[in-house]
Amino acid sequence: MPVQGLRTVTSARNGVGAFILQCKRLDFHYCNHGGSSRGMLAFLTQTLPEFARENPQIEVRVAPRHGKHPVIKGQYINGREKAICVRNMEPGEILKKAMILKDASGEKLKRTKKPVTSLNESVRGIWSPYHGDLRGV
Amino acid sequence: MFSRSVLRSLTSDLRLSAPTSVSSVNAISQRACLHQTAWLRTTQQQSEPQSSSPIPEAPLSATSQTPLQNTISQSRNAIPLEKQPVAPTFTSPIEVSKSLMEQLPHLVGQTPHYVVAELHARPYLLTEGDHIRLPFLMPKVKTGDILRFNRASALGSRDFTLKGAPHIDERLFECRVRVIGVESEPLRIKEKTKRRQRHVKQAKSKHRYTIMRVMDVRVKSPEELLEEGAVVVEDAEDSPQIEARS
Repeated sequence: MPVQGLRTVTSARNGVGAFILQCKRLDFHYCNHGGSSRGMLAFLTQTLPEFARENPQIEVRVAPRHGKHPVIKGQYINGREKAICVRNMEPGEILKKAMILKDASGEKLKRTKKPVTSLNESVRGIWSPYHGDLRGV
Repeated sequence: MFSRSVLRSLTSDLRLSAPTSVSSVNAISQRACLHQTAWLRTTQQQSEPQSSSPIPEAPLSATSQTPLQNTISQSRNAIPLEKQPVAPTFTSPIEVSKSLMEQLPHLVGQTPHYVVAELHARPYLLTEGDHIRLPFLMPKVKTGDILRFNRASALGSRDFTLKGAPHIDERLFECRVRVIGVESEPLRIKEKTKRRQRHVKQAKSKHRYTIMRVMDVRVKSPEELLEEGAVVVEDAEDSPQIEARS
């Protein structure tokens, strides 16, 4: 007998009951020497403490990376990672990029045409030619 | 429409404090309703003492206060005053025709429900738990916010449909969505050319979209409507009707 896989009974629908932010960690990398990190250094000292206080659900890590451009990396609950290079940016721009990473769902970017995706069955059912009354032609 | 009602960690105690007088069908899904008529709210506040108990024992329709009165429900204490949800004000109570009152229990009793909610004149067919990706970036919302869609053109279950002409009164149903975040699309590159020129310009764009999750779609029962001060009127030609499936 072949091995039967476990069937999933439920699927996660974040936000229906409880809501969990998908971004779980933000890593800020900077270089003490490089000129492209100047804005990042200002951001780390001025803006980051407040940003971290406003978002207690996100773990914030700051680590130096010598000889490279500054980068913000976001870790998501679904296991993916997103990175944005913030070289030569002002602290305000860097905050915007951090907000993008914070609000992102962690999914790969896709183009979709339909606005609504549903896991539920169709409420009104599927039309059948054998049921219901005959309508006048 | 976008009155921000941040009800984080609120749903559980709201459900606990649901009034017992509501019919058993809807006892589970009773939630705060923030759309009481203005005159009704004032009369309620006059009649009952301003409750300072942690869990309001009155139906939660009474908890939607104006910020001036210092009686914001405890679970929303952390939210600053200017961001408290604002209850819409209605000049007259909702008028429900007799036939609709008779037919409404059929629609209420049959789950699940769907609603065709309209946002910027675009219809979205929603059921509970659906994932919406709006075709635009909604301004002034943050992740985790709860919005209530109050404009619907149709509301129904498997066999019954309540159609609005053109819209259903917003006091007949509840549809709440939660903002989950902001997504963007992959970078689009369009090549722009001019005649007799070798140069090709690349126009780049990357749009951002608000994503949402439908928290609940609920039709109110006649008892609830009467409790909220609905007035039963005689049938008119243009009064909304529930259509049964043939």
